[in-house]
Amino acid sequence: MTLLRLIGRNLWRKPARTLLMMLSVAIAFLVHGLGQGFLAGSQGSGGAEAGRLVVQSRNGRGQPLPHADAARVAAMPEVAAVAASARIRGYVGTERTVAVASAVDPNAMAAVMAGDLDLTPALLAQLDGARDRVLVGRSLMEAQGWRAGQRIALTPFQIARADGAPWSFEIAGVFEGARPEIDTHFMIARYDYVNAARAHGRDSIDGLMVVPHPGVPPAALAARIDALFASSPAPTRTQSEKAFLDALIREIADFRLVVTLVTSASFAAILMIVANTMAFAVRERSFEIGVLKVLGFPARLIVGLVLCETLFIFVTGGGIGLALARVAALLAGPELGLALPPPVVARAFLLLIALALLAGLVPAGFALRMTTANALRFR
Amino acid sequence: MTPFPPSLPGSPGFIRLDGVSKSHGRGAGRVAIFSNLSLEIPRGDFVAIMGPSGSGKSTLLNILAGLDPVDAGRVAIDGCDLSAMGEDARAAWRTTTLGIIFQFYNLMPMLTAAENVELPLLLRPLSGRERRERVATVLDLVGLGGWARHHPREMSGGQRQRVGIARAIVTDPALLLCDEPTGDLDRRSAGEALDILGRLNRELGKTIVMVTHDPAAARSARHVLHLDKGAFSPAGPEVLS
Ligand SMILES: Nc1ncnc2c1ncn2[C@@H]1O[C@H](COP(=O)(O)OP(=O)(O)O)[C@@H](O)[C@H]1O
Ligand SMILES: [Mg+2]
Repeated sequence: MTLLRLIGRNLWRKPARTLLMMLSVAIAFLVHGLGQGFLAGSQGSGGAEAGRLVVQSRNGRGQPLPHADAARVAAMPEVAAVAASARIRGYVGTERTVAVASAVDPNAMAAVMAGDLDLTPALLAQLDGARDRVLVGRSLMEAQGWRAGQRIALTPFQIARADGAPWSFEIAGVFEGARPEIDTHFMIARYDYVNAARAHGRDSIDGLMVVPHPGVPPAALAARIDALFASSPAPTRTQSEKAFLDALIREIADFRLVVTLVTSASFAAILMIVANTMAFAVRERSFEIGVLKVLGFPARLIVGLVLCETLFIFVTGGGIGLALARVAALLAGPELGLALPPPVVARAFLLLIALALLAGLVPAGFALRMTTANALRFR
Repeated sequence: MTPFPPSLPGSPGFIRLDGVSKSHGRGAGRVAIFSNLSLEIPRGDFVAIMGPSGSGKSTLLNILAGLDPVDAGRVAIDGCDLSAMGEDARAAWRTTTLGIIFQFYNLMPMLTAAENVELPLLLRPLSGRERRERVATVLDLVGLGGWARHHPREMSGGQRQRVGIARAIVTDPALLLCDEPTGDLDRRSAGEALDILGRLNRELGKTIVMVTHDPAAARSARHVLHLDKGAFSPAGPEVLS
């Protein structure tokens, strides 16, 4: 027998109780894993490239900027790539599904999104044949059940066609995200076509995406871009892509807050359940803890044994919960956009250890007081 | 039999109490158990302590085990001054010097006989193999060689007490403290347990202090002390007859 075995014997003397505690920890960490996977995934801003900047009108999102801004930004020495984009939001198919087409210069888009989207030269060449061709992201393609070569209609909320008809595009190909957390729920259209056919606001854009040269601090570049247009008729507001997406998502709901509240609540619940159950289990064994003390087990070793029991319950239960969350992230597919990259899992594990020690404090405190004040006496 | 005085023959004192005072509780509920109690027991002795309930026999054993600090006076065992040691130091000292045998065995229900016996060895720097060998040796010594893998619930009271004895001696301590070791046993099992204690004393030279109500048990000791109203007195013939 070893001390480890002793811990095991204590854990499994009431297997149902131990398993239930593990289950509650597993559920809490499944919830935590799914919540964090959601925030880290494409539904959150987890796919955002921290170095990439988004330039919009200072007068508000959706206000136009002149297309000529793209060339002025591209001329800045700190800038590696720029893509100007006009976003068409609208219904596709039935009037229930909303989709977005980004009208861009495809080559500029490929340069800006290099490493995140696989916009290969071969794929971009597919757009050359006709001006109304689009590339559709994998996530949108699968959600709609579209096929390559198919013609689709997009009834726009803004950027109407001069002839009043819906936009009609031919699907030339599919692009993929380089990682699961990259958003591919949109399509890429040709700016030259959209610009020529739109009813109003010709030569305007909704924003720019800017990639700085390596080593250029994004915040400094953002300030310089805004300074460049400060006295123009359309002043700009430049943010990191992550800040931009976070703000965008917060307009729908503050998911980060919701996820934090939900997981905090479930953590508080398991903390109370496990701490209380373990304290009960330790009190039940006060006589045996007294025996250990009499046999010469030092108080800190007894406390360590009790802490190890809680630690085992948390690490096993939490490990199972996180593993389930990871399986869910893999099975869910790109529409849900769950991602559990290693840093998220590592952070969850640190949390696991911290919670285990916290939950173990109560029973360990009992054990400690028992061993000093009520050590077993001869009867 | 030399029941009195409290300084027993043989030298030097293996166990020494000098002017020990001890009370339980505090404030108005404070009860004095001993005041200025002295006692000397030589190495290798086997002493039975008898006395009415509540006379402080268990308290005395708790003091000798270093489980209960004294209010005044000095407690020394084999030259170690217990009253000067901290709680952790006394715990460490117990693992090497002391074996304790309880009336109700105090075995761990979820551990087998062998694992119960092995428990105190977990605190020693021994290999698993050395530990298992020692456990097998003492289980043989108490006549439970075939019961290593059984749990306490599968054993009789007498067998459980022999597991308790094996656990007390597995660390090869110089001193055994027993509180009513036969109090919960039938005649035959009590006889077996006392036999083992006698052999541990005679053949292995263990010093034994045993609290008992049972005159038959007291007779297997070399000396008998009578504790009453916080002081030792000669054991009257009625307890020994
Ligand atoms: N922890 C304690 N707190 C208060 N009183 C105690 C405590 N332990 C023992 N006593 C009291 O001290 C006296 C002696 O107890 P004890 O040593 O157990 O006697 P014995 O073992 O001789 O029956 C008894 O009156 C008992 O009630
Ligand atoms: Mg007693």
